[in-house]
Amino acid sequence: MTLPDFHHQTDATQWSRRGFMSSLGQGLGGLALASMLHQESLAQSIEQQVSHFAPKAKSVIWMFMIGGASHMESFDPKPALNEHAGKKITETPYGDVLKSPYLANERVVAFDPNNGFIRQEVYPLQVGFKKRGESGLEISDWWPHLSESADDLAVVRSMWTEDSNHGAQLQFHTGRHRVDGFFPTIGAWANYGLGSLNENLPQFVVMGQPVADCCGGMEAHRANYLGPQYDGVPLKIDPKNPLPYAKPNGGVYREEQAAQFELLHKLNRITADSHPDDEAIQARINAYELAFRMQTAVPEVVKFDGETKEMQEAYGLHQNETKTFGQQLLTARRLVERGVRFVQIYHGSNGGAGQWDAHANLKNGHAKLCKQVDQPIGTLIKDLKQRGLFEETVVVWATEFGRTPGSQKSTGRDHHPYGFSIWMAGGGLKGGVAHGATDELGFHAVENRHYVTDVHATVLHQLGLDPHKMAIPGRKRLEKEIGTPIHDIIA
Amino acid sequence: MRDCSLSLCCLFLFTANLAAEEKPFAHYLDHVKPLLTEKCIGCHGPVKQESGLRLDTGKFIKVGSDFNAVVNLKKPDESEILKRVTTTHAEERMPPEGEGERLKPGQIKILSDWIAAGMPAPDDEVALEDPRDHWAYQTIVRPDLPGGSGNPIDRFLTAKHQAADLTPYPRAEKSILLRRAYLDIIGLNPNPRELKDFLADESPDAYGQLIDKLLNDPRHGERWARHWMDVWRYSDWSGYKNALRGSQRHIWHWRDWIVESLNHDKGYDRMVVEMLAGDELAPGDPQTLRATGFLTRNFHNSNRNIWLDATVEHTAKAFLGMTVNCARCHDHKFDPIPQTDYYELRAIFEPYHVRTERLPGQPNLSTDGISRVYDQKPDEPTFVYIRGNEKEPDKENPVSPNVPDVIELPFSVTQIDLPPIAFFPALAEHIQQEDLDRAKSALKIAEQTYQKTFADIDENNIAAAIENIPSAPSLPENLTEGQIRAEYQVVSARLALSSLQARWKADHNKHNRTEQDDSSKWADLSKIAANNERQYNFAVARQELFEKRTAYEKTFTTKHKDAATRQSSIEKASKEWQAAVKKWEQTHTALNKTDHKYTSVGKEYPKQSTGRRLALARWITHPKNPLTARVAVNHIWLRHFGTPLVENVFDFGLRSSRPEHAELLDWLSAELMEHNWSMRHIHQLILTSDAWQRQSSSNDAELMSHNLSIDADNKLYWKANIQRLEAEIIRDNVMYVAGKLDLTQGGPDIDYVKGEEVLRRSLYFRHAYEKQMTMLTLFDAASPNECYRRSESILPQQALVLANSDLAIRMSIELAKQLDAQMVNDEEFLTFLFLHTLTRKPTHQETDACLKFLIAQEQRLSDTSQLTSFETEAVKKTVLPDDPKLRARANLAHVLMNHNDFITVR
Repeated sequence: MTLPDFHHQTDATQWSRRGFMSSLGQGLGGLALASMLHQESLAQSIEQQVSHFAPKAKSVIWMFMIGGASHMESFDPKPALNEHAGKKITETPYGDVLKSPYLANERVVAFDPNNGFIRQEVYPLQVGFKKRGESGLEISDWWPHLSESADDLAVVRSMWTEDSNHGAQLQFHTGRHRVDGFFPTIGAWANYGLGSLNENLPQFVVMGQPVADCCGGMEAHRANYLGPQYDGVPLKIDPKNPLPYAKPNGGVYREEQAAQFELLHKLNRITADSHPDDEAIQARINAYELAFRMQTAVPEVVKFDGETKEMQEAYGLHQNETKTFGQQLLTARRLVERGVRFVQIYHGSNGGAGQWDAHANLKNGHAKLCKQVDQPIGTLIKDLKQRGLFEETVVVWATEFGRTPGSQKSTGRDHHPYGFSIWMAGGGLKGGVAHGATDELGFHAVENRHYVTDVHATVLHQLGLDPHKMAIPGRKRLEKEIGTPIHDIIA
Repeated sequence: MRDCSLSLCCLFLFTANLAAEEKPFAHYLDHVKPLLTEKCIGCHGPVKQESGLRLDTGKFIKVGSDFNAVVNLKKPDESEILKRVTTTHAEERMPPEGEGERLKPGQIKILSDWIAAGMPAPDDEVALEDPRDHWAYQTIVRPDLPGGSGNPIDRFLTAKHQAADLTPYPRAEKSILLRRAYLDIIGLNPNPRELKDFLADESPDAYGQLIDKLLNDPRHGERWARHWMDVWRYSDWSGYKNALRGSQRHIWHWRDWIVESLNHDKGYDRMVVEMLAGDELAPGDPQTLRATGFLTRNFHNSNRNIWLDATVEHTAKAFLGMTVNCARCHDHKFDPIPQTDYYELRAIFEPYHVRTERLPGQPNLSTDGISRVYDQKPDEPTFVYIRGNEKEPDKENPVSPNVPDVIELPFSVTQIDLPPIAFFPALAEHIQQEDLDRAKSALKIAEQTYQKTFADIDENNIAAAIENIPSAPSLPENLTEGQIRAEYQVVSARLALSSLQARWKADHNKHNRTEQDDSSKWADLSKIAANNERQYNFAVARQELFEKRTAYEKTFTTKHKDAATRQSSIEKASKEWQAAVKKWEQTHTALNKTDHKYTSVGKEYPKQSTGRRLALARWITHPKNPLTARVAVNHIWLRHFGTPLVENVFDFGLRSSRPEHAELLDWLSAELMEHNWSMRHIHQLILTSDAWQRQSSSNDAELMSHNLSIDADNKLYWKANIQRLEAEIIRDNVMYVAGKLDLTQGGPDIDYVKGEEVLRRSLYFRHAYEKQMTMLTLFDAASPNECYRRSESILPQQALVLANSDLAIRMSIELAKQLDAQMVNDEEFLTFLFLHTLTRKPTHQETDACLKFLIAQEQRLSDTSQLTSFETEAVKKTVLPDDPKLRARANLAHVLMNHNDFITVR
């Protein structure tokens, strides 16, 4: 089929008095139009803000495990738990953890009589650990595939957050407590700060069932005051319907619609020419062009015809348990390959707290969930390396908090905001390192403590962005919301 | 940037005009002053002078505090100010813990470099104004109208144009004006007939009459209700599945109240009072109670503080343009609002709670009812949360209800005695009627069964059954099971009715009795009610005993799976029987009682309301309150012109400097108040002004560039602003131009997922956290949480909505069909299409392009074998026309619905 000609030349200089930031077809949003255009200096300053450092990475793949994955059963082994299993924490040599001033960091939304308590009875590790790779990084036996890439991971074992309930999911993405309200998320900041590398695709894509209503909902991937054009665009792994309204109803022919778009373009052009001082119409014409291109480009991304059978199986597309996450990670790779800046993938949402929320039956639950994600993640890292994308892609694996060293309902662990683990890889970060530490019980982050936004700061740093220079006039950000890059894991 | 979002606690803005004009002071003006403004001015500036120190000018800094000099020019490093920002002693540190982040080394260097250089600062540096002198805090005095004639708005603007050497654009042509007026006032396109009539009407008052007609159109209330629903944070109930998390069910009654109030041109002041204190103003009037949805909307199931914080924050922002919320954790950094003001305002709301009132014909409150507020806990104390931390209430010093001191107006609270209907809502006639009717129909059914069983009603038997009270649990002899059951049921139903009647009589007497009334009557009535209730209770227990006994006996003859099941079923039945015996005995013993205790027919609520909210509402709407009318006029102006007179519509504090059009704002505010707060009057003034009627663009390139060079942002309104329509209006018009919009007004919220099937106006669909129509959110629909001003984004996803939604495709076919029947040739069809969608005829160029399209498209669609389909779901919701001509025309209609100008007001 023939695509309509959108590159019809017109003398645009007469009306674009101040030019458009949106000339690349990046939507121009909100008061952006009402005020940015009227505040030239602001618009310019934003453009000047990008690339404060030489960027090491171009894109981010951000995986988030909803519900709270256990740090002790994944990346932060604690033999002391086995040694003192069954004792009260106060009966171990580490009873002082219960007197730590760090306990005061906890902030709750509402008292929950069932969950969110410090559990007293030490619960042994539910899985074994081994030293992996040349670095000897310790990873639990639930991660066999990922372990093959141990030398590529930078594990941070000293994370802490405030919310002892699942509002921490939102907090991990905005850096602000659930009660403080909604703020731009890390993906939105990256999208806001970086230019587009692909005119046919949205720059911030979200996959997987989002965080549930209880815990922040869609606000975990929104841009809030940055404007809706920086929101994450939810993508479904369904070539037939990957975006809301991605395609017309089945009876419409491609050529029929192409002709409509072509006429629409002509008509809008005529109107634009007769209204030289209408600045919005050019932005709209551009947005329509992107829309038309997205209609083709987006379904193409989630179609795996061009991927070999071996590649599809390596991501686990042939097995029920790994299929969904595997498809999402394969899509993530295809997106960053095409220049998309930030891909956020949720795992384990269940309309409530999340599947990783192992109050009971942690052993079976975590084993099952790890199985769903381990092989796809392991393959993703190898695939990125093989394609030369690893060094320009920051891969993040995160969760809202860890789990209590003590047992809950005798087979599970409760929420634990005082110390937990995440890891990052690629994008100019060190590999095979474990940074920071929790105490012997895995209770408090005690060495090189990092609040959740230090992960944001690290990601932005690798992308060449300085959050301080991205400040929005009138929107004061707390230092805590911005965080500090974790320089120890930057190569 | 999006305004429709949760705000940050506090907004910081560096004072404008700091650009260094003289180089010697560049370091001070560019670096030192902004730093001091951010970190120190809150406590050492015009609002507060802790220790007598001000830091808002170089001179003040040299003067120092009450105790010492803060700079030492001889030994700059020993300056007190540097010591205080670098010290590690928490009690000496500036800014103090909790008041601000400590200075970073780079910032300290900025300060020390400046002191070392001898503190160069301009001599003519102007100190920040005393906050009490802030323009928005001054009582509104109607300014003199500038000379000239015509609409007062234009007289103010003309003076500005002349001073700035601007030549405003002329009046827009009639067709543009008509479309603008329709979309602004009723939110719907004018149809070709309306256009024709208007163009033909050459009377001098044609335009004035048009505006009158539209303002009196009931659809005007719907259009403008949605605006105020943004400002007042309308939200239907939110929550996962059926659980209520936020707002209230049936809050759509409040939405209907807004629509009706606007259509009746209810005064803005009255609307504010009804929303904040409708229950105190008109306690017995359910119509008024609907208005309190403004407050019940703040309900939040998990945390009372979230609820009250939202109430305080948004009452202040919506009506007063005050960011009182910034004072939740500390004194306001810019405005003279100490932290206690926040909690004093909270104390006004502390007692309030929500309940749902029963409506006639609907006893089930989960189906319908009026969500309303009432003061549940008048004595609930309010404490300041230290540093905003709810875990640290200052219990030593409870605060009293009060309003922010910065507005010096009396605030006096008078407790309100509520009428009986308000504290005992069951007194409503319909409730008594309906409950008695229910008891009567139950009795009727029981009597019918009795009649069938006994062939006739034997009154003697029934009377005997009521009166003969056996001394021990026993069953009547000589009757079958069915007969006993029928008799007992009739007895219970009769006693249920008589007990209900007696209790109602007693309740009526109890709640309507005055002190002069004979108390012996109350004694009699309550005694009768109590007796009747005891009899009824006994009848129920007797019936229950009979049923349990029968069930027990039956377990012996029932077949069971095995012996164990049989045993447990017998034991269970036995237990229930024993319990019934016990109940029988209790109620039987109770028959001997002679007290007056009976169960009320309804719930009783506090007999007084604190009157705090009414006092607040009166204070807000006091004509001397300097903020209320200004804030309201600014909201109205914004929605007519696309830009407000005061840029930050919810913050009229010190960060909003005196606006360009302060006199105009004040004049309109005075006008609003003096015309009984009639918003329609303000609409009329605005809509008939030249300012509103101007062209938005001009073909006169010279004029355009001249004006742009002087006022590029159109701050002086020398032209109209081109505006994008709001989400709801876009969706409404897609249906309306196709002739398919269902214009039914009011009623329950419609499920948001039905937005493409149910063809009602968009404001009637559910709108809540996580419950919004995607089609609307993509076009910047209000965030239900907060939206004082809409965004006007331009996104590719918006193009996809209009290009691919089933609704748009279906409506374009309807539109094409509607015209196809009447029209013959393509050109006439085309013209009509343009008139319907864009309210104008096509130009030659457009005609040419469209005609070519129609021919080519028809041809293309004549042989579909050459065409490729989209790979979409098999579901084809809308059947596309087979006839290639009609289909090509539908395609063209669809293109026009996607046209930039379909969603734009020029």
